[in-house]
Amino acid sequence: MSTEGDEGTGVYLGCESCGLVSHDVTGDDPTLVQHCSRCGHVLHATKPFSLQRTWACIVAAAVLYVPANTLPVMETTSALQHDEHTLLGGIHELWLDGSWGLAIIVFIASIAVPVLKIAVLALLAWTVRFNPDWRRLERARLYRLIETVGHWSMLDVYVVVLLAATVRFGPLASVSTGAGLLSFAAVVVLTLLATWSFDPRLIWRDPPAPPNPPDGRRLA
Amino acid sequence: MGRVEGSLVVCGQCGLAHRWQPLLEASQARCTRCDAVLARAHRLSIEGILALTLAAAAAYLVAISSPLMSLSLRGGAETATLPQAISIAWQNDQQLIAILAGITALLAPAAFIGLRLYVLIPLAAGNKAPGFAWCVRALHQAARWNMVEVFTVGVLLSLVRLAGLADTSPEPGLFALGAMTALFAAIESAGLKHLWWHVQ
Repeated sequence: MSTEGDEGTGVYLGCESCGLVSHDVTGDDPTLVQHCSRCGHVLHATKPFSLQRTWACIVAAAVLYVPANTLPVMETTSALQHDEHTLLGGIHELWLDGSWGLAIIVFIASIAVPVLKIAVLALLAWTVRFNPDWRRLERARLYRLIETVGHWSMLDVYVVVLLAATVRFGPLASVSTGAGLLSFAAVVVLTLLATWSFDPRLIWRDPPAPPNPPDGRRLA
Repeated sequence: MGRVEGSLVVCGQCGLAHRWQPLLEASQARCTRCDAVLARAHRLSIEGILALTLAAAAAYLVAISSPLMSLSLRGGAETATLPQAISIAWQNDQQLIAILAGITALLAPAAFIGLRLYVLIPLAAGNKAPGFAWCVRALHQAARWNMVEVFTVGVLLSLVRLAGLADTSPEPGLFALGAMTALFAAIESAGLKHLWWHVQ
């Protein structure tokens, strides 16, 4: 595979839907919209408002992460007692029960993956703006990592839904969903939307030339 | 059929344009700048993907109609199918959770299979289905929202967590979910862009 000369980015646009490569005819005019000549999909050099959308989703996810972890995600009733379980509490119980493997799986899916996504996307969005030359290849790989592992944080949502659906023995034993589950599900969806909003092509874009007006003109 | 040698391919991850060269069998082309996979050799034929999709459709029908797991406690027994689990969440005033689970575990896999069949059956005969371009775009979205593999692990995890509390056993729906997960991975490895190579 050979690189197409120095023309590189910007001159050619690849269709995200069908893969056809078109010449970029819009130039830098943001009011023009180019469509793929084969399938009609919109072509962008980079996704519009990518960073704004990413930041909005990250901030919302970070805010909702607090109730997701402090409110109970699951409530259990047995003959003897009524218990409320938070995310971390549930993992702690698994650990105490000796199910270390399970505790680690749930910890990775419910705690590590959402935190990793929020932190990595914040880092990527920040560096695009303020430190664009820094470790581009590693940043591109980081993005692909969170893109791949992102949806695994849905695991606990499914587990609680399934437990609530099967453990239905009235006062003897029953499980129901807690208020924190909705916040947690929102964190999962928002981090997914943030990942899809971020455009990895921004990592490779050269920083805009520093504004350097001829002497005196700015003061005048 | 495939890409024409010397045609251009743009890296979806970084936007760099490359000249296409034929790949050795079982190899993959990577972007020279960001190291993302550009393309894999040894793709499935249209007929091959169609066969896998039909198998996935059969697995899907079993997965949504049979119980995923059963639980017995002091004489009482409960089973749950996937639609039941979602409707119970709805009845417990968790409508948003029910909608999210419904989209990711029920609707997105259905679209993943249904739209593929709609596009692939005419394509195997050399015809382009009406609305082809829209269907391929919708398939990209269906692949994004489909979380069958996570749901399958979720069922396994629920089984293990309940094992200490009561007698649990896996039911046919769980095996169908496992088959779907494997079939979806095989179908997705072919990607979607190649569908356009077969359209005249």
